[in-house]
Amino acid sequence: MRVLLCDLLRGMKKTMPRPGKNGLLPVLLWLAASAATQSAPITFNTALPVAKSEFVFRQQFIVNQSGHDPGTAGRDRTAWSAMSVLGYGITGKLALFGVLPYVNKSLGITVDGKRIERQGDGLGDISLFARYTALQKDGPGRTLRIAPFAGFKAATGRHDSSDDLGRLPASVQPGSGSWDAFGGIVTTYQTLDYEIDAQLGYRGNGSAQGFSAGNQLRLDASLQYRLWPGTLTGAVPGFLYCVLESSLLLQEKNHVNDRVDVNSGGIRWFLTPGLQYVTRRWVLETALQIPVVQDLNGTALENAYLVRAGFRYNF
Amino acid sequence: MRKTTVLPIFLIFILTLASAHAGENVYTLQVDGLACPFCSYGIEKQLRSLQGVADIEVDINEGSVKVTMQQSASLDEKQARQAVQDAGFTLRSFARHEEDDAAPR
Repeated sequence: MRVLLCDLLRGMKKTMPRPGKNGLLPVLLWLAASAATQSAPITFNTALPVAKSEFVFRQQFIVNQSGHDPGTAGRDRTAWSAMSVLGYGITGKLALFGVLPYVNKSLGITVDGKRIERQGDGLGDISLFARYTALQKDGPGRTLRIAPFAGFKAATGRHDSSDDLGRLPASVQPGSGSWDAFGGIVTTYQTLDYEIDAQLGYRGNGSAQGFSAGNQLRLDASLQYRLWPGTLTGAVPGFLYCVLESSLLLQEKNHVNDRVDVNSGGIRWFLTPGLQYVTRRWVLETALQIPVVQDLNGTALENAYLVRAGFRYNF
Repeated sequence: MRKTTVLPIFLIFILTLASAHAGENVYTLQVDGLACPFCSYGIEKQLRSLQGVADIEVDINEGSVKVTMQQSASLDEKQARQAVQDAGFTLRSFARHEEDDAAPR
């Protein structure tokens, strides 16, 4: 953790992000899993509201584009994923969530002047987590909640897919092959006019086939401000929110066969503007994640952008 | 003989009408923490699961939930408090009034 914090301080001193190479896999895994494990905000799931004996279903479609390869390989990576999240309220305070991604990843690379594309798709790793609302302060038209959460990601996705060229690189496999544990705390302050959510999370990654992704620390924040209706008159109208989210991701270096991969890990900071239309049964949402700082170790491939769009439904 | 038969029937009719009218109980719950449309569904669902509930109207701006009960059914404050809590909110106040009282004048 101290290493991560030092990396953060070091990263903040730099104004120009550095491109990288081998830190791609853990970041991609994390981005896939973090979308899975976190989001009422658009980019994390832990603040999703769900009442006792009620289900909430969220479906998000995510495009994750990476590129700007400074090397001669001209790497270009695109990952499409359909992230399904199902939450259930066991009590008014305790909720369980499951996340299942379906992914399609492609990696373009130039070898000896010839363009090659590797592609993998299928169900990814499933994540399960629980959230308990430890503190709740309600007032007229407002609420404050603080809730710890904890869970794990199971190695359910395929991680040995291959194509005509042989076994696919790990960055294109639908699953990671590792079991990972994660936990953290999420807080929500909501009024009729706006909502603020913040999350601090830590993920300890397991290993599979000699590879262990670096552990990760993330700090997320989300502001949702009601644009429409300007004035509330009665009943339960639909709300249109403008959204601004911030995601700070810090990752330790990976280990390959018990050796540190110096070209992995680092810091990423995204700002995410978005829109949400919220009714009593369903929500439509979309957002664009823009990398502001990418201070990566070695030569990892940077994110270009992420686009998210989807819906939620209560039942 | 005829007079003594008609009178009880008339009384029963009047009493039935009266009880039917009085049975339309309406309750107003003031709920703290209710701050978005998506959250209001949870409270509706919890209250609808209670026996005898005929209709629910949520006013998110006022933080109020109007619960109309079926004829001769009543809503217990303890039940209402539990339903609101299960939905993830806090019941601030509970008031019962008859339909005529709730109608605008």
